[in-house]
Parts: sequence; C-alpha cells; structure tokens
Amino acid sequence: MNRLEKHVEKVLEQMQSSDDEREDIREELLNHLEEAKQRYISEGMPEKQAEKQALDEFGQPDNTGRQMQEAIYPYQRGLLYAIGIGTILFGVIFYLNTTFFLHEPIPVWLAIQLFTGGTVTLAAINISFVGRYFYVMNVVLLGNVIWNGINMTMMELRPQWQAIFFGVYLLILVGLGLIAVIRNSYYSSGPTEIKQQKRGLVLISYIVNLLFGLAVTGVSLFSLWALLAFSEVKADVLLTVVPIIIWLITYKFQMGYIPKKPLVSIATGLGFSVLSLVLPYTILGLI
Amino acid sequence: MSLKMKNISFITGIVLLFLLLWGVASFADSPEGFSGFGKTTDISPDDSELVFSYFHGDDAALYTVPVDGGRAELLAEPEEGKSYLNPKYSPSGEKIAFIEQWEDEKGDEKRRFSQLRIFDRNSQTISQRVNTKGYVTEAVFSPDGKALFFLKAGVYKNYSPIASKRPHDFDIFRMDLQTGDTEQVTFEKAYSMSSLEVTPDGKQLMYRTYQDHDQLVFHSPEDESTTTMVPEGDFASKAPIISSPTLSPDGKNIVFTDVATKDENGTFIYEAFRMNRDTKKAEQLTSFYEHVTSPVFFHSEDKLMVTVDTNFARINPDYSYWKISAGGEERKRVEVKIPQ
Repeated sequence: MNRLEKHVEKVLEQMQSSDDEREDIREELLNHLEEAKQRYISEGMPEKQAEKQALDEFGQPDNTGRQMQEAIYPYQRGLLYAIGIGTILFGVIFYLNTTFFLHEPIPVWLAIQLFTGGTVTLAAINISFVGRYFYVMNVVLLGNVIWNGINMTMMELRPQWQAIFFGVYLLILVGLGLIAVIRNSYYSSGPTEIKQQKRGLVLISYIVNLLFGLAVTGVSLFSLWALLAFSEVKADVLLTVVPIIIWLITYKFQMGYIPKKPLVSIATGLGFSVLSLVLPYTILGLI
Repeated sequence: MSLKMKNISFITGIVLLFLLLWGVASFADSPEGFSGFGKTTDISPDDSELVFSYFHGDDAALYTVPVDGGRAELLAEPEEGKSYLNPKYSPSGEKIAFIEQWEDEKGDEKRRFSQLRIFDRNSQTISQRVNTKGYVTEAVFSPDGKALFFLKAGVYKNYSPIASKRPHDFDIFRMDLQTGDTEQVTFEKAYSMSSLEVTPDGKQLMYRTYQDHDQLVFHSPEDESTTTMVPEGDFASKAPIISSPTLSPDGKNIVFTDVATKDENGTFIYEAFRMNRDTKKAEQLTSFYEHVTSPVFFHSEDKLMVTVDTNFARINPDYSYWKISAGGEERKRVEVKIPQ
C-alpha cells in the first residue's frame, strides 16, 4: 500500500459507509490525490515532494474523515457516543447510589451495565465497523435498549426523587437507542439509491417493524417474569426469551427486505413477530 | 493515537472502572438495617397504654407508651440479631405474649426461628412456655386469661423462586397457662392463617385465611363447627382482601383493612372498613389516602388505634400510630418519643 492509499484508508476509518460506498469513496479520493500529485510533478517537483504536497493540501486524514462522516451520516456517531457513555455513566451513578444509600450493591449488574455501554461506545470509536455490520450494530443497540428498559422497571421501588431522576434518565437513553436503531436500519438500505417518494415509506416500515420487535420483547420478558414469580425454576423458563432471539434473526432478513418492499415487509414483519411468539409457546404448551 | 491504541485504552479504562467501583463497594458501610416503628400494636385492658415493637437496625424491641403519646418506655430488649414482635396483653394486663424471631446461618443455609414468649410485668422476666420446631407467628389470650391460643406454621418456604419465604401449613393450638399443656385445635394445614382472635364470650376463635380468596373463619373448639364469612362492600380489589381483621369489644363488628382505591402510580391504597357481623355489609371507616393496617379496638372507649404506613410498596415501611374515633370522623397521631 503506498502513502496515498494509506492516507485514504485512515480517512475511511472514520466513516461508517458500507463496502460498496467505501469502494466508491476510496476511488474518488485516490483519484483526487493522484491528480494533485501529477499536477505538482508537472510543475517540476520531484515525485516524493509532490506526494507530500498533495497530502498536506488534503489535510489531516482523521479530521477529513470525521467531517465526511458528519456530512453523509449526520449525528450518527455522536448518538452512539451519547448512548454508550450515558449508559456507562448511569452504571457509575446508580451503583454508587446502591452502595452508599441502599447498602446493597450488585457487581453483576454493574458488569452488564458497563458491558452494554462499553460495546456501544466501542462501536462509536470504531465507526467503520458499523457500516460493514449494520445488523450486528442493531443487535448491540437493541440489547442496550432492552437492558435499560429492564432497569426502568427496577426504578419503581426507589424513593420518589430517585425514581423520577433515574426514570427520566433511562427514558432518554431508551429513546436515543431506538432512534439510533431506526436511523441505522435506514442507512443500511443505502438511502441514496432509493427514490425520493419511497424513502418515507421505508422509514415508516422500519419504525413499525421495530415496534413489533418491542411488543415481542415485552411479551417475552413479561412471561419470563411471570414464570419466575409463580412457578418453580425449570429449564423451560428459558423458552420464554426464545421469541426475542427468533425476532432478532428474522429482523436480519427484514433489514434487507424493507428497502425493496416497504409495505409488504410490514406484513411479513407482523407475520414473523407472531410466529416468534407462537412457536416457543406451542412447544412450551406441548411439554 | 492510533485506533488500536484507542480501543485498548478504552477497554482497559472500563475494566479499571469496574474494579474501582467494586473495590469501593467493599469499603462502604455494611447495611444499617431498618429502624422505625413496627406494624402491630395492642392496647392495655385499662385503655391507658399501647405496646408496640420498635426496630433498631433490623432488631425490634418492645416498648410501651401512653395511648395519647409521649415518651416510650423500653419493656424488653432482645439480644443482637433477634426481634420481639406482635405483642398481645393478657386480660389482666400483667402479661404480654409476643413472638421472638431470629435467623441462624449454618453454611449456606439460613434457618428461621419464630417462637412464642411471655413477658411477666411483675417479675420483669421472659418465659418460654412451648418449644417447637414450627413457626409460631402470633398469639392471643382467652378472655378468662387461663389459656393462650397461638398460630403455628409447619414450614417456612417459598413456592416460587422470586417470592420471599413465608410460613405455611398453619394450624391453631391452645396452651393451658396453668399446666403448660398444649393441644392442637384445628387440623387445616392452611396455606395462610393470621389475625387470630377470641370472641368476647370465649366460645369462638376468629382468624383470616385464604381459600380461592380471603375469608374470615369462626371456629368453635367445643363442637368443632366452622363458619366462614366474606364481607360485602365497595372495595377496589376484585375480591375482598381482608387484611388484619379485629373484633369489636362487644363482638358485633369487625374492622379490617382493604383496598379502597389506587394512587396515581397504581399502588393500592388500604383503608379501614367496618363490617357488621349480622349483615356482613362493610363500610369504609378511614380516609387517610395512605396504607392503613393493624386496627385495634380500645376496650371501653369507643375508639380504635390504627397503624399507617406512609412508605407503602417501597423498600422500608414508615409506620406511625393513629387514634381514631369508632365512626372514623376524628383522628389524631400518637406522637411517640423513643428513648436513646
């Protein structure tokens, strides 16, 4: 890899573009740099100096990359940082609160909280990963949303001012998480290639599909809670979370299908959601 | 900084943060436990004083205070890790029956103990009249003061993993206070049984139990007959929840607490209700808009004492005692000063 190519790769490190888009940008930037280099050579500069001059003129690769990321995917990286660091910060504040006011710290809870906040922050640091693995990114984000949602149900028992403060904090985190998933899904479909009038439909389809997912998650977690509360623990308790896993797997298919057939995919999304609930519970009923 | 270095630094930072917070937790003070008033009270036969439990760091001692409030007097204090609960006066007022509760840890296994004790006010001594493997949860003297009836559970367990452990397999026992002999009165092995009382004529026992729904049971030990009763009234719970029922001194009315409404968070608001034993019709007595529990009738005055929890459905309760008129129109908080 020559110096120009290395420089362009550093720019691309700061961008969440998909593989196809990445290839286009790579080609465009290399052409631009190559042209500048040739211009300086034709002005009589030696090759090495011409290359250096072209790169200096181009600017710091990190800065250029960040600017291009913001131009193409506005606020997307900031959103991930906000969710990730917000989740970690909540972990620190709430853990200290449970330690010093309630005297019952739960290290396992803190570990999960830091893990889910940490993975989202790592995704923001390694933003180029996001564009290549949109689906994995969504799973990470949905995991964060579900976990913070579970946290919200725990806040009810806190004294009033704490319940309000932590409740609002978590509500914002969950909201940001859902916005990030919707935007992430939308960007995964390469919006520039979709016709203007279809873009709105695609976005709505993503939102509706995500609402199905939330409903499936709600039903699953509620039955998990109910089963734990009113019966003795058996292995089949784990079946209650299977709908979430089935839904997440079918969402991978949906992410590709929604940009092609936004309206039909609302129907298939509903079908998958119902199936993800019916299947495990039928098995549970048969056992 | 290269991307690789950024990742390594971030992950190391998070791990260090976790270890730091974990370490901080081990330096934090151990739990102080619950301090505050206990739930149940009883009124002396001459209507002059109130007996109650007060918790100091999870351990409850017994105190008395004049019924109009004032400085409390320590009656009996358990050793560390134990609690004295559910006190009941004898008809003469000379004795107080109560429950001593504690837990023993053997390895990973915690064992709960719940035993019947009697405090003699003249000799200032505590006696243990029954020794049982079961869990005695409450006791009440017979009106003639010659016998003591108590509830005993056979097991202490939880039937579901996230429910807390509770005593089950309840039955009523009678102890002759002169001979010390104990006999079993009922053979129900009830899932739950509470609020044991003796009717003023001494012929029947009243208790609350659960069979498909909450119900009051009147049991005659003499002919072993049993009648059940469910109050009719305007309750916010689907089926009536009969919490801490108590008989009026003339035996004609029963006061208990049930869900009157819900607050803005959907938490049940319990208020006291009064039921006529003949009509079974229950009417709301109090309107605290808080959690009202454990009513106790005065013996001669037309009044009741109730316990109010202003922190219901949260981690620790915050109980206070209130004197109310029998019709519920008047109420006054009993201000209690606990000596240090």
